[in-house]
Amino acid sequence: MGTYILRRIAAGILVLAIGTFFLYLLVSLSGNPLANLMANPHISPATVRAARIELHLNEPLLQRYWTWITGVLQGNFGISTTGQSVGPQIWPRMWVTLQMVIPAVVIAAILGIGLGVVTAVRQYSITDHVSTGFAYLFFATPVFVIAILLKDFLAVKVDNATGHTILYTIGQNNPGTTGAWSIFVDSLAHDVLPVMTLVLITYASWSRYQRSSMLDVLNADYVRLARAKGLSRRRVLYVHALRNALIPVTTVIALDFAGILGGAVITEIVFGWEGMGRFLFTGLTGPVSPDVNVVMSALLIEAILVIAFNIIADVLYGVLDPRIRYA
Amino acid sequence: MGRSRHPRYLGWTAAAAVGALVLAACSTASSSKSTTTGGVKNGGSITYALDEDVPGFNINMANDAAFVLAEILDQVWPSVFITQPNATVKLNTAFVSSAKVTSTSPQTVVYQINPKAVWSDGTPINAADFIYNWQAQSGNPKYKDVGGKTFLPASTSGYNQIKTVTGSNNGKTVTVVFAKPFADWESLFGEMIPAHIAQKAGFNNGFQTFGPSVQVSGGPFEIQSYTKGEDLVEVPNPKYWGPKPHLSKVVFRFILDDNQDAPAISSGEVNIVNPVIASVGYADSIKAISNFTAEVSPGLEFQHIDFNESNPYLAKLNVREAIALGTNRSQMIQRIVAPIFSAVSPASVSKAEVLNNRIWMPIQPPYQDTSSGAATFNPTKAKQLLAATGMKMGSDGYFHPNFGKDKGKDLTLSISTTSGVPVRQQIEELFQADMKAIGIKINIQNYDASTLFGTVGPKSEFDMIQFAWVGSPFESGNQSIYCSYTNKAVCGENWDHYADPKVDSLFNQALTTLNPTQDAALYNQIDAQLWKDMATLPLFENPVYYGWSTKYGNVIPNATNAGIPWNAQDWGLKA
Repeated sequence: MGTYILRRIAAGILVLAIGTFFLYLLVSLSGNPLANLMANPHISPATVRAARIELHLNEPLLQRYWTWITGVLQGNFGISTTGQSVGPQIWPRMWVTLQMVIPAVVIAAILGIGLGVVTAVRQYSITDHVSTGFAYLFFATPVFVIAILLKDFLAVKVDNATGHTILYTIGQNNPGTTGAWSIFVDSLAHDVLPVMTLVLITYASWSRYQRSSMLDVLNADYVRLARAKGLSRRRVLYVHALRNALIPVTTVIALDFAGILGGAVITEIVFGWEGMGRFLFTGLTGPVSPDVNVVMSALLIEAILVIAFNIIADVLYGVLDPRIRYA
Repeated sequence: MGRSRHPRYLGWTAAAAVGALVLAACSTASSSKSTTTGGVKNGGSITYALDEDVPGFNINMANDAAFVLAEILDQVWPSVFITQPNATVKLNTAFVSSAKVTSTSPQTVVYQINPKAVWSDGTPINAADFIYNWQAQSGNPKYKDVGGKTFLPASTSGYNQIKTVTGSNNGKTVTVVFAKPFADWESLFGEMIPAHIAQKAGFNNGFQTFGPSVQVSGGPFEIQSYTKGEDLVEVPNPKYWGPKPHLSKVVFRFILDDNQDAPAISSGEVNIVNPVIASVGYADSIKAISNFTAEVSPGLEFQHIDFNESNPYLAKLNVREAIALGTNRSQMIQRIVAPIFSAVSPASVSKAEVLNNRIWMPIQPPYQDTSSGAATFNPTKAKQLLAATGMKMGSDGYFHPNFGKDKGKDLTLSISTTSGVPVRQQIEELFQADMKAIGIKINIQNYDASTLFGTVGPKSEFDMIQFAWVGSPFESGNQSIYCSYTNKAVCGENWDHYADPKVDSLFNQALTTLNPTQDAALYNQIDAQLWKDMATLPLFENPVYYGWSTKYGNVIPNATNAGIPWNAQDWGLKA
């Protein structure tokens, strides 16, 4: 197991090295950060020249990549085109994304697994049909549509009915809120809609995975044997069946989690949260873009997460299923 | 003039965001306190939705010159002149009790700073601030930013013509002497950076992140907090010596997606909106909200089509005139602009009109229709003009020139604009149909904004190009667009290979004429000559949409580069 993990990590680092190189070239060549200045009649060529030097655009591309990658290895993510250090900007954004993603993933996992189990156990019942219907509905609905429907038909209605802003449609919190408890309540009120949005789009597919994997297990011989042995239905379901049925879903959740952590771009934009998704988005579309150091940092972190969670999923697979052994 | 893109950039007018040409009185300052239209009480807060975050906090620095930052700094960094909603200016008498031209040769302007004027950290605002603001934006390599770096100013316009800035009277009297006359002198010293901070922290990099440097204010409000991508909060500046603002908090909330404004207004999270592009859908989504009022008006930003005269066909005046006569501008307005006006109120549709001046916009008092009918829709005359150049109408309905690359074939020209902007695509499609009707085949070839403005435009790699210019109270910025392209140093914005010595000499006169009435007339003469030469074809002004909650008083839209917070110190909850 230990060697396997080490080998996977080594391969992951190689993939990262090659990936960042090509990404750096692509991002750097995708636009001209000076175009905005050059398009402005009253910015003198001397200013543009000075800006070119300040952004190191006068250096060859390979040299810029080398500067960037050696900097990253020393924990320095470089300077954004607007002169700010990129490194210190990453963690606050990651924290913002986590505030949205962790509650969403936890709730979606409980909901998805729970509904998956119930609908498998009561296959073809009314509960199964209704749950399946909703799962397909949410799975098929684009995230921004869910977000907008929640805003218009939940938040606005609740707020208008009560005459106070209880559910917030925009932002992470109200600026100027003081006191730990007030800040907590305020954050919670801002968290409701984005978390609900993410829950609805993610639980749907997870509940389907859980349902089908549970059905597979319930029809397996060992489950029938356990029942025949006289074990209680409850014990068979939760100890014998569920543990095995969780294996495929665990890996799905681990991989999806990496994806959402990289930034729930649309959810962040619709709700005005400044997380990793918007960090990447503004790096690509901002006034002085592409902001290569910003975009590359966001992509690098996403790549590391994907690789790490792939390894974690594989390892978990081994932990959950004793039959699997890696050499 | 600044080139307009999406999202909004200020262009050179950043530096002048809060100044404008006083048309009535040349030199003296009449009054300043902005209008109060109704009784408001003290206290309360307001939230204004901005559709982009700020790039940094130094509006005078090249990378930071964004419209949203100009709006945020309206009430923070002091300006000598404040741009009014009709694009004229008023002296900010709380800051400067007078600003007078005391001599015209050499042009000398004397500013009397209010003796009580101080930065919020207690440092007096004085001549040192004027000197620093001039030097940093002069473009003169002799002056250096911290660390010996070259200053990166958003504009050097006007500052590069100043010879000396000197202080006297304990630094409260400032005398500015120009090397050569600069008619738009009132554009200078707008949103002034605090010199004592910039000299330590740096002009280029000292204001890029939020911190104590950014919080120093010389206006009614100061920046209390900033959360990147989320919000910026302004509270009254306790050291402000002028009339106190009514609201105890102004929140600027960054909402990148304009579609999210409507629910945020409904739930009470946002009180003022000004979307980057007004659309029918947007207006409709807000119409249903109670206690919220909206207004749409033609702004200072206008769409136009430019002709590249290095193209052998467009080099001919007849062809350019034919294109202008064949373009149904009224139809463009009916299809593109009028629906937005009618979505807000049917009565306002009459405000959507064709634009017949490139330099003055209709909200500005000197506006005149200088076109002499040069672009009044007349397809018959357009065809006659094309035939007069020796072109023959082919059997397929397109003219066949008797010279150039299209000799004996369909007359084909291309038009380019920024891709992905619906308004511009609509313009192109309508234009294409109009041109087909007069026998010109049009190919549409669009580029992303950085390619269009970074390469295609400056290198004149187009036949016709379509984009928007943002007008400003200060007209000197037009010179670089319309003066003869052969003068590369000055006329770098003339991508059209257009040249007319008459226009050049009129600009030289206008730029040195300090009498505003004569100056305005000269700019109208320039525009009339541009029509005679059919240098470019102005189309219409982009509508600007403002909406605000009716519980607030004294909210007055301002379509200039000052933006709606131009008088935020007067805003308040209705008493």
